[in-house]
Amino acid sequence: MKVPMRRPVTWMAIAVLAFGVLVGIAKVALVVVLGQTTPVTAWGEPDLQGIWTLETDTPLQRPPRFANKELLSDEERAALDKERTALLGRDRRVERGTELDVAGAYNAVFNTVRPTGRRTSLIVDPLNGRLPERTVEALKRDADDRAFRLALLQSTDTCKKKLAGCAGGKYDPAPSPRLKELPAAYNTGRMNRHDNPEDGSLGDRCMAGNLPDLPNAFGGNYIRVVQTAGGISMFYDTGQGQGFQRNVVMNGSPHLPPRIRQWLGDSRGRWEGTTLVIDVTNFNAKFDFLGSRDHRHLVERWTRTGPTTLEYAVTIEDPTVWTRPWTIKMEYTKQNDAQNRIYYEPRCHEGNYAFPSLMHAARLAEKDYAARRGPNPATKDNATDFVGVEENPFNR
Amino acid sequence: MRIRFISSLISVAVAAAAVAALVTLSTSRTQGQTASGTGASARPARIGGKPNFSGIWQANNEAYWDLEAHEARPAAVVQKGIYPYDYTRVAAPPVVALGAAGGVPGSLGVVQDDGRIPYTIDALKIRNENVEHWIDRDPEIKCYLPGIPRAMYMPYPFAITQSTNKIHLAYEISNSARTIHLDKVESPPADTWMGHSVGRWEGDTLVVDVTNFNDKTWFDRAGNFHSDALHVVERFSLLTPDVIQYDATMTDPTVFTRPWRIAMPLYRRMERNIQLIEYQCIEFAEEFLYGNLRRTPIVTHWESDTFSFDVKRKVPPGDKFYEWFRK
Repeated sequence: MKVPMRRPVTWMAIAVLAFGVLVGIAKVALVVVLGQTTPVTAWGEPDLQGIWTLETDTPLQRPPRFANKELLSDEERAALDKERTALLGRDRRVERGTELDVAGAYNAVFNTVRPTGRRTSLIVDPLNGRLPERTVEALKRDADDRAFRLALLQSTDTCKKKLAGCAGGKYDPAPSPRLKELPAAYNTGRMNRHDNPEDGSLGDRCMAGNLPDLPNAFGGNYIRVVQTAGGISMFYDTGQGQGFQRNVVMNGSPHLPPRIRQWLGDSRGRWEGTTLVIDVTNFNAKFDFLGSRDHRHLVERWTRTGPTTLEYAVTIEDPTVWTRPWTIKMEYTKQNDAQNRIYYEPRCHEGNYAFPSLMHAARLAEKDYAARRGPNPATKDNATDFVGVEENPFNR
Repeated sequence: MRIRFISSLISVAVAAAAVAALVTLSTSRTQGQTASGTGASARPARIGGKPNFSGIWQANNEAYWDLEAHEARPAAVVQKGIYPYDYTRVAAPPVVALGAAGGVPGSLGVVQDDGRIPYTIDALKIRNENVEHWIDRDPEIKCYLPGIPRAMYMPYPFAITQSTNKIHLAYEISNSARTIHLDKVESPPADTWMGHSVGRWEGDTLVVDVTNFNDKTWFDRAGNFHSDALHVVERFSLLTPDVIQYDATMTDPTVFTRPWRIAMPLYRRMERNIQLIEYQCIEFAEEFLYGNLRRTPIVTHWESDTFSFDVKRKVPPGDKFYEWFRK
């Protein structure tokens, strides 16, 4: 009995050994295919892991003055950096008690300002670096929404003094009857009314983290990526504590049924060669990305391009907003893992005393007005906060 | 000749490995939970030589109500009934309309040894006050980050994504997440809600030290709390491929007289299509948190054949206004 057993065991040992060698060779082959600079996980998938962030600022759309220019020279970047840093030290709230101060205008110290990037726009398609034409219905929605928000400002100093916040509107000392109206769609931005929490912007309500996560002045744009065999997890640190978790489903199953809508949509990923492709649909109607809500469809392409670089390209499609899909590209840079400089806690909400204070103050102002102790609250601007927008060198 | 031989050997090897990989893939596809949210379509049993905890998990017990052993209760908020005894209390106005669906299930508890949390005398007073003021004080009701260990046994699933140097845990409850660092890492610059997790392997058991807590999170809906001196040591080990034995030992000398330990199994969610579905509760908590600040209240009256409710909201005076949000 013992003797005949030996042969299969020996053969099995050889087979196991051979298999080990084969897998080893296959792994080497995979690394060669992926290119020497592309790290691979222990289980042979492209390795996108680590903490990633954007180390430069690039405007979404190409500034008009760089019309046909895709890349900036070193001199142009230095000049832009100089212009942009000149704006940093200014304190827009220096006059305490002014409307800008009361509206909570941020000083530069609260903002993330990064060196000017190499490209003139995040948008790479269309080739002119500008957003594609908006649909007729989207333009109408934009105009209606703007008219509503301007109406709420019409009797404030912002309109009287023709400040940036009232651009396109006009001053009328009589408060607008529209102060009693609902906006046409679920509100996502600031308006000069604080009757209900729903009048607040999503940022003020700590719900502004969303996809795609474009570079923003309010900090973050950090991503922690952890992979396992056949799975990937991404945690975003963005918008000063408005980060979020992405759970990318990688098993080839179809999207969630259309009736299930989520703030961050439904992410389904797959590997195409060395690129992680994630298809995102099922967004809800409560977030507004440049006018795009529940019809938003994203196709993301994540590619490790080197030891410290990760390229992110996303194609954005919404036929109710744009006449064609468009694509942006960003380059993330790997951060020091041991330093761990990422804010894992989306705790904007936990520390959000500002939002209830804003509503509380609105109620007190109404009481004061009713008792003839204060001005008509409708003549006060507690909404516009356009620090830096009008003079941003990227807009020229 | 030699080169040709080697290259043909390599191509045979690559082809064989590819076939082997396909075989591995198709075998594991026949196992349960092929459709995990962390994409476990080819989930190997081990990662980097250690047990692979990746997948979607959930506790299946009553610990989220109360870690300690307790009888079933008629409601989360109760008031005196007609008898003077604690065990004859009835549901209080905030929850009375939920009837039997609003009851709290009994439990043997998950606190090990004598089953009690060893509070100091002063801390026990605070715990008992927390029970009385549950609605005002439990951070869960405000949709604040749940902390550790509470996030582990809330009635929501969570996903583990296990790599060789990091293990990421993503909880369905409101974007709460943590990374367990298996490699060298600096401490966070400030206190945290979810703690700072540093892990190591003791054989096949994952041991995690969780520190740098603030004093704002609770352990359950029964007022059990801690200070910012809390130190949690967690132990994860696989009982079966689909069950994790989870242990957590709490040390906090300002609140407890000695370390104490909870233990429970965590179960793999076996549904073929399981994935985390968002539970973004910030907006669900807004009426609770800010409803008293609306210009015109909207949650004011409710009427059915047997109930009529009038709800009156209050704005706490002075600094008490802010305390509501700080607790």
